[in-house]
Amino acid sequence: MTHSVLDGTRAGQLADRDIHFEVEQFYYREAELLDDGRYADWLELLADDLDYWMPTRTNRLRRQQALSIAARGEAGFYDETKESLAWRIRRFDSGMAWAEDPPSRTRHLVTNVRVRHASPAVDEGVTESDLVVKSNFLVYRSRLEREENVFAGQRADVLRRLTAPDGVTDGRLQVARREILLDANVLQSKNISTFF
Amino acid sequence: MTSTIEPATSRAATTAPSGALRRPDGLIRNLDVAGLVDAEGGLLDRAIFTDEQLYRQELRRVFAPSWLFLAHTHQFQKPGDFFTTYMGEDPVIVTMNKDREIKAFLNSCRHRGARVCRADSGRTKNFTCTYHGWAYDLQGGLVSVPNQDGYPESFRREDWGLVEVPHVETYKGLIFGTWNPESVSLRESLGDMAWYMDAMLDHDDEGTEVIGGVHKWVLDGNWKLAAEQFATDWYHVNMSHASALQVMSPTGKKPKDEIVHRTGRQYVDPNGHGAGFPVHPKNRFDAPTVHEHVDYDALRERLGDARVDGPLTNGHATVFPNFSYLPVNGSIRIWHPKGPNQIEVWAWTIVDRSWPDEVKEAQRRYNLRTFGPSGIFEQDDGENWSECQSIAHGFITNGVALNYQMGIDSEREDGRFPGVTSELYSDAAGRAFYARWRTLMNTPAWHEEDPS
Ligand code: FES
Ligand SMILES: [Fe+2]
Repeated sequence: MTHSVLDGTRAGQLADRDIHFEVEQFYYREAELLDDGRYADWLELLADDLDYWMPTRTNRLRRQQALSIAARGEAGFYDETKESLAWRIRRFDSGMAWAEDPPSRTRHLVTNVRVRHASPAVDEGVTESDLVVKSNFLVYRSRLEREENVFAGQRADVLRRLTAPDGVTDGRLQVARREILLDANVLQSKNISTFF
Repeated sequence: MTSTIEPATSRAATTAPSGALRRPDGLIRNLDVAGLVDAEGGLLDRAIFTDEQLYRQELRRVFAPSWLFLAHTHQFQKPGDFFTTYMGEDPVIVTMNKDREIKAFLNSCRHRGARVCRADSGRTKNFTCTYHGWAYDLQGGLVSVPNQDGYPESFRREDWGLVEVPHVETYKGLIFGTWNPESVSLRESLGDMAWYMDAMLDHDDEGTEVIGGVHKWVLDGNWKLAAEQFATDWYHVNMSHASALQVMSPTGKKPKDEIVHRTGRQYVDPNGHGAGFPVHPKNRFDAPTVHEHVDYDALRERLGDARVDGPLTNGHATVFPNFSYLPVNGSIRIWHPKGPNQIEVWAWTIVDRSWPDEVKEAQRRYNLRTFGPSGIFEQDDGENWSECQSIAHGFITNGVALNYQMGIDSEREDGRFPGVTSELYSDAAGRAFYARWRTLMNTPAWHEEDPS
């Protein structure tokens, strides 16, 4: 049942090709900033009330699959606000963050983008102008001489359109919420020093 | 929650039938490691981090006879709750049986040896092997064998239960097990280390609980690099963690001199355990919400001034061989060995059961952001260990001795902290760690034939 049929809005519907294109370009820009290590610029793509969460995942018997993704409040690789991400990023600027000095080379690939108009009746804490977007990612990291890591997973985002001070939508998108599901049990990496 | 199994009558890990099987001489060879560890002079041969044969010997003589950390009691609420982990490289299932006792079994089917449980944790009535269907109950007993009439008369299911870890004991919520049927008790093996552990485990009568599961990740490094560091190495903090210290300091600038040149003590245990901590009150790097909640007067009353001014300020510790913790963060971890060149780190966050939810949550987030694979401290630790390991196989590199001489002859009883202690900046607990390693490596374990 699509909500939109009832109230005549776009809520819950797939976005059209223009919006889809815009969202993809937004993600490609984001990936570029991360791969170039321009973290301060990346922060500008994130809403001030950002909720950025990456839970751990466990192997469970099939009948207990519901427990296989750590719940909020349980073990996670990230559970961040914009402020705490800024804090992590400041560390890189200290000139003494040895895990990233010399810096790693990363490549963020973002695919399988699925964009829907948010549906306040279904999705919690969204407005109708928000977009609910799922995408898949593959992040490659090459570190020092021969260390290699691959991080694969899915992101579920809420993207919000910025509103200008005069109340008119200024058009730019920001990430308001991001849930990152890494397809790994034991993390095959000595650390996580990049973002997704 | 102690093991109820009878002392083993055979010298093997299990009394299970072995028929005519005999391992030939030469299949297992032990090396004398006396020349690889100069604990007195503070020198180490790097081969102990890289050699495959020494590593196999460690599994037999260091891991198999020692008390190894398994899990936290809070992970077991109801009969059938289980958690799978490793002792050395041996997979084990830790579970609560119908009598609410914690038991541990080798996670390997007695038929062809597959794992009988492949989930990380959960609740179950039995463990059924998915290869041919042998099923085991929560006591490890073999309760079902498909097509059992195909086996000879002499086949008795009682002989083919899961191999049980003979001793499982707890210390204030932490569960340890050992394969050594003749082992001293866990409490005895901890010795004075227990006094230091209480700074984390014994804030009040309610004790601790686990919050939110286990972080697991791999590191390319020898397990001893991490275990040793948590025993003895405050020294690296100022350099390795300079960026984290800077970000966390209230001014966002370099930490003050009194922090960099902090004083403190390092506990040096004869069984290879170690713990270091500053004794300067400005040395708190804990979550503000937690700090504000903690009733330090009550802690002084319960644990005494020395513990509150010492290991409760901050610090690091290792229980030999591979269990480590950070007392103030409540980060506990085990360094699972995966060959000489790799560690699998499993890290839990524990909190006081009595804390309100928002204090527990503050500790969880603080830990996630500082320690754990994305933590701003731990990221740099991982870098150090993989760096030391990655070049250690070079022939010349491997033969150049490493230095563990800081604080030589500084070990003494200072009248304030139990046992022998050294300075905060010292390799003393590291020397003791490797002395203990040397002793175990050169001592035939219970499972070896008496050479005489
Ligand atoms: S290996 Fe377990 S039943 Fe055959
Ligand atoms: Fe460290």
